[in-house]
Amino acid sequence: MVSSFCWSCLTRLPTPRPLLSAPATIPRAASAAASFHTSTARAFPMPTKKSRSLDSGPKYRQAKSARMKKKKPTDKPRPPPIGERKALRKRIVLSNPNALEVEGMQDFDADTMVDSHLHGDVLGLPVTMLDQLRAVQAFKPKQGWSIFRRPGTVVRRETLEMGRLFDRISGDGADKGKVVKKIVTGPKGSGKTVHMLQAMAMAFTKNWVVFSVPDAQELTLAHTGYAPLSDEQPDLYVQKDSTAALLSRTAIANQAVLKDLRVSQNHPALKTPVKEGTTLEDLTKMGIRDPALAWPVFEALWTELSATSPAAGFEKSFKPRPPMLVTVDGLAHWMKNSEYLNMESKPIHAHDLVFVRHFLSLLKSGSQNPTLPNGGLLLYSTSASNKPSLPTFEVALEQLEARQAGVNPSSAEFPQPKAYSNPDPRVLEIANVSKPASAKEGPVEVQTLGGLSREEARGFLEYFARSGLLRERISDEMVSEKWTLAGNGVIGELEKLGKRLRVAAQ
Amino acid sequence: MAWQSPNGVLQAMQSVRRSLLRPSKTSTYPITRTAAVPSLSQQQRTYATEVQDATEVRAAPEIDFSTFHSQPTRIIPRSRSYFSGSPKFIDNILGLERLLAKTSALPTVPASEAPRKAWLKLAQFRDYVGEPVATKKYKNMLKLLQRLNRIDPEVIPAEVTTMLTEFLRPGNPYSFQPAPPTVDEMGRARGRGKRKESSAVATVVEGEGEVMVNGKTLAEAFPRIHDRESASWALRSSSRLDKYNVWATVRGGGTTGQAEAVALAVGRALMVHEPGLKPILRKAGVITVDARRVERKKPGHLKARKMPTWVKR
Repeated sequence: MVSSFCWSCLTRLPTPRPLLSAPATIPRAASAAASFHTSTARAFPMPTKKSRSLDSGPKYRQAKSARMKKKKPTDKPRPPPIGERKALRKRIVLSNPNALEVEGMQDFDADTMVDSHLHGDVLGLPVTMLDQLRAVQAFKPKQGWSIFRRPGTVVRRETLEMGRLFDRISGDGADKGKVVKKIVTGPKGSGKTVHMLQAMAMAFTKNWVVFSVPDAQELTLAHTGYAPLSDEQPDLYVQKDSTAALLSRTAIANQAVLKDLRVSQNHPALKTPVKEGTTLEDLTKMGIRDPALAWPVFEALWTELSATSPAAGFEKSFKPRPPMLVTVDGLAHWMKNSEYLNMESKPIHAHDLVFVRHFLSLLKSGSQNPTLPNGGLLLYSTSASNKPSLPTFEVALEQLEARQAGVNPSSAEFPQPKAYSNPDPRVLEIANVSKPASAKEGPVEVQTLGGLSREEARGFLEYFARSGLLRERISDEMVSEKWTLAGNGVIGELEKLGKRLRVAAQ
Repeated sequence: MAWQSPNGVLQAMQSVRRSLLRPSKTSTYPITRTAAVPSLSQQQRTYATEVQDATEVRAAPEIDFSTFHSQPTRIIPRSRSYFSGSPKFIDNILGLERLLAKTSALPTVPASEAPRKAWLKLAQFRDYVGEPVATKKYKNMLKLLQRLNRIDPEVIPAEVTTMLTEFLRPGNPYSFQPAPPTVDEMGRARGRGKRKESSAVATVVEGEGEVMVNGKTLAEAFPRIHDRESASWALRSSSRLDKYNVWATVRGGGTTGQAEAVALAVGRALMVHEPGLKPILRKAGVITVDARRVERKKPGHLKARKMPTWVKR
């Protein structure tokens, strides 16, 4: 029903005049209390009393509580776009134009990496290699690359040993095509990650293929998607996106090597058959483009790279495969339950992720052929700063060290997990490595990185001084002081001491 | 003998007469005694003269106090300070002052070289003299003792020494001097240090500057660089950092306290190796123990000193 009231008429009404208008001026006589002395009262106005809200009687229909001033809503700065903060956090700066250029610094190449005269010096990483190293995420954000003109690493004793190892595996000697497996441990800041970076730089120099897992934790944190591998194996889980990322890292970093190698095996697991003459780079890109195919493509790529001879029909374009370097940083995170849940909402053990299982299976000895038939180096490092508490893994490492030292596993000295500690049998399994069947394959070794020697520390501090960061005389006394303060030459601590701003007392 | 004097003879005669009147068991003795004395005949003359002029007045002979064998009427105290409140104490002071006046010309040695003596403590001294002694007066007496003690030990008189021994505590607490610590057969020197709630034991051997604290390296034990510098300060300040290895165990307290306790322990162990470093280490501040501790909280306070906010009612 429509109201008969006319709304438009209402708006046209004149504004009502106030019924009781206050008088414009109050007569002065009324405001004066007592006018005994009228003249003065007229001459000077009475002081007006300060009116307080409660003085003049109760005020109704007004709030009596203390009135808070309302804050004006200020314009909040808009949060940065999604992903920008993370990008900033993960940003890697490899150059500082304010730092001095170190004169006479040599580059990392096939000759310098085995030159024992350079022991203790800092070698610059070649500029052409930086993109490759960035692709495999060899640089970590918290490392101090950004304080120097260009990235460089110290040639320490372990570096020279590793360089010689690379030479032997790539060379034509008796050790050609050997597989060396190492688990790198050591205290915090002892240079485990940089040791792996040096290994990758050597591998790129020697044209090896590098597979790198820069952060093992990312695979078990439940930050990427996962799915059962197949109906036949519902207990195994595949991480498509992580695998695609691995393929992408591998493809970018090893492009020069992969584009020259062509497919030499049949890959029935791939839905679309691979044509003969496809380069391995193209094969890898298939997996990058379609993450659903990433895992089969990775398996195919692995088969190709570990092939020693072509399958029937592929003989024409076969080239011998280069050795491989496989690096994993933060191995301990693969030795416990992951954050993923299975169908019964039970945690999935990290060893049930195919990606993890593949890289851990490389530690085991191959039945007949070595695990890397074309030779190579496995470098798996632990992390001391991001370290889950895993007593079983520690015992496993101790057992590996004991084996390395020649302790009989049945003797009483052989380290065992504590009684009633409920050790993880799957973790203990990695220490229980059978003797390699092939002579080309070495057992798993544990390499413990410690501090630098005094000479290496001196070279490192001189690098700081020559870069203009350390304004002190590099004397023996000064080096030994820093060496002690750095916990017997731990390189990460030396770096902290070297870049600390010191102001001389006036 | 009293009776050899004329007066004594008179008395004797009187007593003979009395004994004749009242015979008793011992009455015969004086008679026989008198008869037996040969000098009696010599005294006859005197006796006769006295009888001759008895009216003449003579002064009594002088009293010989050395032969005074009965209690005098008025007892004279031996000490002049008998009538003061604490006579023994004042006597002691007077005696010391007298000695000091006598020996003031003797050569003295500086206070640091004087033999160290443990004087009686105030409570012990009060027990010793059995009098109330004011603290300040006792302190003044101690000053006298110390001044006397400063007399060169080569020329100090025996009476001063005996006097001083009266004021010594029984058993000389300073006589036991612990054997100075030495480096053991393995070349290790041990030192202990404390700071705040931490206590550290450091073993220092000759080496090339490796420092382990609780089995960990310096960097692992002390994440803060400042703490590492304090822990190794004894070696650093004496520029011995690359000449010794340190193995330290430290318990209790926080990181700062632990680091500084290690510094103290290392400093003391280092002094065992090189006693000549003591002045340098003292300047570096690793000899003197910092005795400060956390002040206790008191009832009625929020913390040690903090009071709750004053409220009118």
